[in-house]
Amino acid sequence: MNSRSRYVWAYFMIAPTLIGTLVFWGWPVLQSILLGFQQSENFGLVNHWVGFANYEKLFRDAEFWQNLRNTLYYVALFVPVTLILSTIFAVLLNTKIKGLSIYRVIFFLPQVTMPAAAAMVWVVLFAQDFGLINHILGTRVAWLSNSNYAMIVLVIVGVWGAIGLNMLLILAGLQGIPKSLYEAADIDGAKRFNKFRYITIPMLTPTLFFTSIILLIGATQIFDSIFLIIGKTNVALPSVRSLVYAYYQNSFVYFNPNYGAAIINVLLLINLLLTGIQFAFQKKWVVYD
Amino acid sequence: MTEMQISSARNINWIVHIILIISAVVMLVPFVWMVLTSLKTTTEATQIPIHFFPSAPSLRGYIEAIKQSAFPHYYMNTVFTAIMKTVFPVIFSSMAAYAFARLRFPGSTILFVLIISVMMVPNPVFYTPQYMMMSDLGLVNTVTALWITSLISPFATFLLRQFFMTISKELEEAAVLDGCNPFQIYWHIMLPLVKSALVAIVIIQLQWSWNELQWPLIINSSPEKMTLSSGIATLVSMFGTDYPVLMAGAFMAVVPMIILFFIFQKQFIEGIAFSAHKG
Repeated sequence: MNSRSRYVWAYFMIAPTLIGTLVFWGWPVLQSILLGFQQSENFGLVNHWVGFANYEKLFRDAEFWQNLRNTLYYVALFVPVTLILSTIFAVLLNTKIKGLSIYRVIFFLPQVTMPAAAAMVWVVLFAQDFGLINHILGTRVAWLSNSNYAMIVLVIVGVWGAIGLNMLLILAGLQGIPKSLYEAADIDGAKRFNKFRYITIPMLTPTLFFTSIILLIGATQIFDSIFLIIGKTNVALPSVRSLVYAYYQNSFVYFNPNYGAAIINVLLLINLLLTGIQFAFQKKWVVYD
Repeated sequence: MTEMQISSARNINWIVHIILIISAVVMLVPFVWMVLTSLKTTTEATQIPIHFFPSAPSLRGYIEAIKQSAFPHYYMNTVFTAIMKTVFPVIFSSMAAYAFARLRFPGSTILFVLIISVMMVPNPVFYTPQYMMMSDLGLVNTVTALWITSLISPFATFLLRQFFMTISKELEEAAVLDGCNPFQIYWHIMLPLVKSALVAIVIIQLQWSWNELQWPLIINSSPEKMTLSSGIATLVSMFGTDYPVLMAGAFMAVVPMIILFFIFQKQFIEGIAFSAHKG
């Protein structure tokens, strides 16, 4: 086959993906950036250039800083808790225990469960009067409408959904540690805790690092559970509202796509930075492997 | 091992089992409570002190949820959308992935980087411009709008390219001598060799599409055009605190994916674990 006809075949085969990516994903990214510098009428029919006005307004808006703090606060609670619990379960399951596959399925179940459906049952479980959780704890906490507890509820729901997958990723990391290291330590008479401290933890660090970056990126985009569990009329909303929620509210409830774009572009920047960090470290660790 | 060591190992084994069993029960509580509540009467669902089990289990919640809302529409829209968002990305991505893996052509590297770089962008960034596009095309509040923006998958393209690159070139060379064109080689020879990766992608796409909330919520507001996810999110405003109806709706929405999960456990777990490594 000559190279001309190979080129034609190649362009034909990548055409749907390339065109689809440029039209539905590539152009929207550029347009989102443009929208941040514009003021639109009729949701984008007429656009005026306003420079940094949207961002100036954003950075002077106390609510934006509150939303950014909420998002970071969620990330700061959700990521470590998920990581620690996932690691504990992975270590427990890595002991040739019976019933591994059953535990795997049970812990993974929330991952395939529709967040909207799960949210509805969490609302019932956390209800103040007739909720199972208050019943078991013997308390009368207004979990969902108290600004101190609403965030904890979101973290619990998030962790419940995330443990299964992360436990498996960490378990795969544990199983990749060479057995010979432990055997050598046994010959030296090392204690169980010391083996964990000086072999398992260091060998597992790359896995833990990547797992946490993936968790971080996902957690910065929290929306579903705030929308479904807390809801727009809840007095606790301001203390849990995330950047994505604020983006949704400004764009599609208040119909101000420009202010919404400014908010989501801040998140875009945060995510690009996180991905950059991931790439930088990936290179470093791949070399050491 | 001494006798003491063996018995301490046995004790630890017991402790591990107890921790795991308790944790597994905790993980399952939402599912159990969903089913139990869906079978209760409205008053029993909010009774104090709590009734754990429905005293007279009834399917009223299920009947109400189906009759009073657009539930059949939610179902059909969700299934149709999930099929579109699975079939097209699998075909288009595998075609592109094969070309990127095997057919050297001018601009291949830059075009590939361009396609996979959109994976770094958080999804909500796309929504406003996509909404404007749908609005220009007159597609707001249509079933088409649910899937038309997701006919391609950069992630699937990336993953399948990796798989194609691991396959030896000998098979293809024989096919070239037989006069096959690149599309025939891709379709008849290469595609069957990456079946496991295709299964993983089908599962990831099905699962994402089935459970997605934000885009359906933004683009369609009339009940007949909603998916299960956006539909049951609005059930609350229709049924308020009629929890048996809400739980019945939630249960019907999650059950198809859970059944698929039980049948294809291994493929689900491996497929989703794959997708987590996309960076």
